[in-house]
Amino acid sequence: MNMDISRRRFLQGAGAGVAGTALGAFGFGGVEAAYAATVKEFRLFRTTEARSTCPYCAVACGMMVFSAPSAETGRMEVVHIEGDVDNPVNRGTLCPKGAGALDYIRSPQRVKVPMYRKAGADAFEEVSWDFAMERIAQLMKEDRDANFIETNADGVTVNRWPTMGFLSGSSCTNETGWITWKVARGLGMLQIENQARI
Amino acid sequence: MAASTAPQPDPSAIGRIPKPPFAHVPGTEALFATRAARFEALAGGGHGLAPYLGFLAGLTRVQQQVAAAAPEPAMPSSGQLERARTHAMPPLDRAGFSPDATSFAIVAAVIEGAAALPMPAEAGAALARLQSAERPTLAALIGNVLANAIPPDEVAEHVFIAAALQVDFARRAAKLNAADLQPVADGVCPCCGGAPASSLIVEWPRYEGNRYCACALCGTMWHYVRAKCTLCAQTGKISFREIEGGGRVKAEICGDCNGYAKVLYTAQEATLDPVADDVASLALDLLLRDEGFHRAAVNPFLTGY
Repeated sequence: MNMDISRRRFLQGAGAGVAGTALGAFGFGGVEAAYAATVKEFRLFRTTEARSTCPYCAVACGMMVFSAPSAETGRMEVVHIEGDVDNPVNRGTLCPKGAGALDYIRSPQRVKVPMYRKAGADAFEEVSWDFAMERIAQLMKEDRDANFIETNADGVTVNRWPTMGFLSGSSCTNETGWITWKVARGLGMLQIENQARI
Repeated sequence: MAASTAPQPDPSAIGRIPKPPFAHVPGTEALFATRAARFEALAGGGHGLAPYLGFLAGLTRVQQQVAAAAPEPAMPSSGQLERARTHAMPPLDRAGFSPDATSFAIVAAVIEGAAALPMPAEAGAALARLQSAERPTLAALIGNVLANAIPPDEVAEHVFIAAALQVDFARRAAKLNAADLQPVADGVCPCCGGAPASSLIVEWPRYEGNRYCACALCGTMWHYVRAKCTLCAQTGKISFREIEGGGRVKAEICGDCNGYAKVLYTAQEATLDPVADDVASLALDLLLRDEGFHRAAVNPFLTGY
């Protein structure tokens, strides 16, 4: 961390105005003032560069996601994605899928809410997160009650739930992986798929 | 079994993704020649600050000529260099620098060279005061510049001295082996311990898109993670500001310390110079000052901002 700021802040605070700047001191004060007047016309534009992790596979490449205000709505939107040069995994590179992630973000088909297709229905309908969580928990409970194996043929306690598997995300962090393992193993599940094998 | 001679796996040898070098020391004449050419191009392009940029172009040409002709600098002993390395200290520490005969020769040469440049009366008067100054006075000015403590009523003299010190330190830095340099602290030059003037997103072959900070004093460039404050090293509240329509120079703003420094995107324009384009983008500083952000970068030619 460089510690030069307090001094410069002091100089600025001292407010010597044009006399305190290099331009003023060299005799370019008039040029500086005229330039400063024209600058008032300019508009500042806010953009961001955020780090993220590619959602596709377990390599978990680092991405830089660039956002800028939309011309129509004025709201920030993603305008560009590139590999994160500072990420030791991919050092700025991305595969064709990752490089195309901008289209994935903007896709009209992108699923942003839980969708539900009732048994026998021919279309998905939008449901609430509460409904989705309740429904999944209920079905898991019913299946576990029906198929849970506490002991094997020799009477040894095994606590297996062989009829259920758990699919987790490829770009999850260690911490998410740990919680996944605790939840799934705690319920007795044997098949846990974390896609972390590339 | 000599295990150490066995081939070691190096994934970076596969494909095109080698680890970028940490530091790049300046080639002094090229440094000032490129910068002078950039100042000249900026001054000739109808810029609002054209007279000042033209003056700085002349001053940078003087730096280039002095760099080519100055006597060889004395370097720290190998013991001092080794000690700096062991304790992660800058080898040419500006805080512990005392000017030697080479330094004074460079200062005198820059003053003499600058006297031939066309300049306003104020600058000429400052130069005349420097021409008649004795060594102890010059040494005091050098100390102020290295401490970033330039008195507001003597800015012009100090900026001439800063220009001479850029030559002196760049020539010393050029004699170091870049591979021996190591990180000293976030946002601090690994060579002289100074602050960056700005940073560049470089387009060096195989290292495209990496960010390098450029030292305002010695011209050393060192690798620095993108979207990370060069002042307080935080990454959480970084955003950028650019003047609408000009995406080549952006201010990287940190919401944690309220400071900002400029980032130059050389993919948009290859000739961007960390010092020249910092001056040429003064509009950004003026607008950000109105928004309450403070400048984290050091550039003698923008003293007072």
